Amino acid sequence: MSHLKRGATFLLALSVALPAARAADDVITIGACQPITGRFAFAGVALNAALVDFVAYANEKGLVKGKKLAYVFEDSGYDTDRAVACFKRLMAQHSPVIMYGESTGLGKAIAPELTSRYKVLYGSTSFSSELADPKTHPYSFVSGPTYSDQFGILLEYIARNKGAAKPRVAFFYSDTEFGKDPIPFARKRAAELGLDVVAEVVTKVGAVDVTSEVLQLKKTQPDYVIFQGYVLAPIPEVVRAARDFGLKTKFMGTFWSMDKSIIDKLGQDADGYMGVNPYAYYYEEGAPGIAAMRAWNQKAHPEEKYRPSSYIQGWFTGMVYVEAINRVLAAKKPVTGENLAAALDAIKDWDTGGVTGKVTFVDHKAGVGRVYRANAQKGVFEPASDWIYVK
Amino acid sequence: MLIGNYKETYASDEAVFRTPAVRGWMVALAVAAMVFPFVAGDYLLYLVNLMGVLALAALGLNVLIGFTGQISLGHAAFMGVGSYTAAILATRFGLSFWLSIPAGGVAACAAGMIVGVPSLRIRGLYLAIATLAAQVIFEWAFTNWTSVTGGIRGINVPPARILGAPIDDDRRAYFLIQAVVAVHFLLAANLRRSRWGRAFVAVRDRDIAAEIVGVNLFRTKILAFMVSSYYAGIAGGLWVYFMKVVTPENFPLSLSIQYLAMVVVGGLGSIPGTIFGTVFMTMVPELLKLGTGLARAVWPDAQSYLFPLRDVVFGVLIVVFLIFEPHGLAEMWNRLKRFFALWPFEK
Repeated sequence: MSHLKRGATFLLALSVALPAARAADDVITIGACQPITGRFAFAGVALNAALVDFVAYANEKGLVKGKKLAYVFEDSGYDTDRAVACFKRLMAQHSPVIMYGESTGLGKAIAPELTSRYKVLYGSTSFSSELADPKTHPYSFVSGPTYSDQFGILLEYIARNKGAAKPRVAFFYSDTEFGKDPIPFARKRAAELGLDVVAEVVTKVGAVDVTSEVLQLKKTQPDYVIFQGYVLAPIPEVVRAARDFGLKTKFMGTFWSMDKSIIDKLGQDADGYMGVNPYAYYYEEGAPGIAAMRAWNQKAHPEEKYRPSSYIQGWFTGMVYVEAINRVLAAKKPVTGENLAAALDAIKDWDTGGVTGKVTFVDHKAGVGRVYRANAQKGVFEPASDWIYVK
Repeated sequence: MLIGNYKETYASDEAVFRTPAVRGWMVALAVAAMVFPFVAGDYLLYLVNLMGVLALAALGLNVLIGFTGQISLGHAAFMGVGSYTAAILATRFGLSFWLSIPAGGVAACAAGMIVGVPSLRIRGLYLAIATLAAQVIFEWAFTNWTSVTGGIRGINVPPARILGAPIDDDRRAYFLIQAVVAVHFLLAANLRRSRWGRAFVAVRDRDIAAEIVGVNLFRTKILAFMVSSYYAGIAGGLWVYFMKVVTPENFPLSLSIQYLAMVVVGGLGSIPGTIFGTVFMTMVPELLKLGTGLARAVWPDAQSYLFPLRDVVFGVLIVVFLIFEPHGLAEMWNRLKRFFALWPFEK
C-alpha cells in the first residue's frame, strides 16, 4: 500500500502548494493558457515562444521602467474545458494582471467571470469580432484587426484597384465559427463598395475533393476569391485545380492562410496568391521593430532562421501589453486590469516600428493591415499595398 | 474484524447502502462534500464541478452500455440537445433553471427514444454506426439551424438564480451541480434493483432468454436509451449554466468517445466505477500537466518534449489499466476494500 500512501502525500502537497505566495510589487505577471498541443499547436508553439522571447527582451531592454515582467504559461490543448481550468489555476496561483488565452471558445466561456471577478486584461489568439466588443467583453482585446476588418481591408483593396468593369468576388469558407465569422459583414461591405458577390462556397475544414467547388467557381467566373476559415487544406488544392481549369481568378486569404508555409506548399503555383496580414513578415527590411526582433533572435536563438506570422502576432501582443502598462505607470495609477483596459482604449497613432501600421485601438481592436502578394521565385510574400486602415 | 453480514429481510439484502460501515462512510462523505467548497480554491472547485457534470453524463452511458449491453457513439449529441434546450428556454422564454434543466433532460430523452429504435434490429458495431449517425446529424443541426441554435456563435446564457441570488461562481455552482448529481446517482442505484433494472441486465446477458422469461425487448432497449439520454440531457443543462455559453463545437464526436473511455476505464455497469472513470480521465491529464510544470523548473526546455509526451503517457496509462484490470477501476476499488476488510488474514 506504500504507493497509495505516496499518492496521498502527493495530493496533499498539491493542495497546499496551490494557493502559492503572491508576486512581489515590482514584478508584473502575465499568465497564458497556450494551445501548445492539440489542433491549434501549429500556431500555439510559436505564439508561446514569441511571448517568452518578448518578455525576456522587454526585461533586458528595460521597456517597463522600474519593473520586471514575469511570464507564466500552461498548455491547454485547445480544449475549452481544460482552458478554463488552466485560466483559473493560473489566476489562483500567480494572480496575474494580464492573461493570454488560447481560443475564441475560452474568451467566450471566461467572459462572465472575467467581467465580474477576475478583471484582468485579456489578449488572445482570436481575431473573432465577438471578442472585440467593449460592452460585453470590457477586458478583452484583439491584437490587430478582426476577421471582418481583414475582409474590409481586402475588399477595399479590390475596390481601389478595379478596372472599368465591376469586380466579381467570391467567398470560399469553412462551416466553422472561424470560417463564418466575417461573412455577414463582408456581404454588407462588398455591397457598399460596389462589388458583386457572385458565389459563396462553403466546405468542411480540410476537404480533400474540391472538384465540384472549383466547377462552381468556373461557372461564376469571379475575379477574386477570398478564403476564410482554413489554414492550409484545401487552399492549395483549390488554387491548383483552378489553374488547371484555366481560371484567371486571383486568390486571397486572411491572417492564418498567409504564412510562408502556403508558398512552400504551392511551389510555383503560389505566384499571384494574395492576402491580408496585419503584421510585417520576419524577413522584411526597413522596419526597426522587426529588425529588433531579428536581432534578439540571432542572439537568443541563433538556430532559428525564420519565425512564422503567429510568432509576430505573439510578439505584437506582448508590445501591446507593455504599451498599456507604461501608459498606466505614466499616469501614476496602479497596474490593474481596469486601468490597463482603459489605457488600451486611449492608444492612438502608436508607432510600432513597422511591426504593423500606426495602431489606434477602437472597440478594443486595431483595424490595420496590409495586402501582400506571393513571390514564388523567392518564396516570400511582398507588400502589394501600403498599410490600409479600416474602422 | 467484520466476519459476516447477517440479513433478516429481503429489503435489507437489497438496500443500496448495506452495512453500517458503508452508511457511516456515506455520512462522512456527505459532510466532507459540504465542507469542501469552503476550503478549496477556484481551480479545484471548477474541476470538481466539471467532473460532476461529466460523471452524470457518463453514468447515463453506463446505464446503456454497462447495464443493458447496448452501445452509443452519440452521447455527446444528447448532451448537446439538453444544453441547447435549456439555453433556448432560458434565453427566449425566460424560464428559470428549475424548469429549463429538466426540460433539457426530457428533450434529450425524446431524442434518445428515436435514436434507440434501430437497436431492436441491430446490435454491436452496427448499432454503434447507427448512433454515430445521430451524432453527426445533431452536430449538423446545432451548426446550421441558425434561427434556433444561434449557429456557430451559439447562445450566451445568464446565470441561474435561486431566490434572486445568481449562481455565478464556482462555489455556488458546486452546490447546484453536486445536488443534482447526487440525486441522479441515487436514482441510478435504485433503478438497478428495480424491475426495469433487472430487465436491463437480463437483456445484456442474453436477450433471447430475457424475452422468453417475459421481458419486452423493444420496450426495455428503448427505455435504456431514454434513461441514458435523459442523464446526458440533464448533464447538458447543468453544463450550460456552468459554462454560460453553448456552441456546436462543445459536443464533438471525440467527447462521445471520451465518455465511452470513462465508462470502460471506470468499470462497465458499476456506479462508483463511473465516478472513478470520470476522475481518472479528468485528473490524470491535469496531474501530468502539473508534473510537466514542476519539471520545467529544473529543465526549462522540457516543455517541447513533455507536452506532447503527456498525451502518450495518458494513452499508455489507459492501456495498462485495461490490461491489468479489465473490469476497470471499480474492481480495483473492490479489491482494495476486501484487503482492508480481511486484513491481516489475507495478503
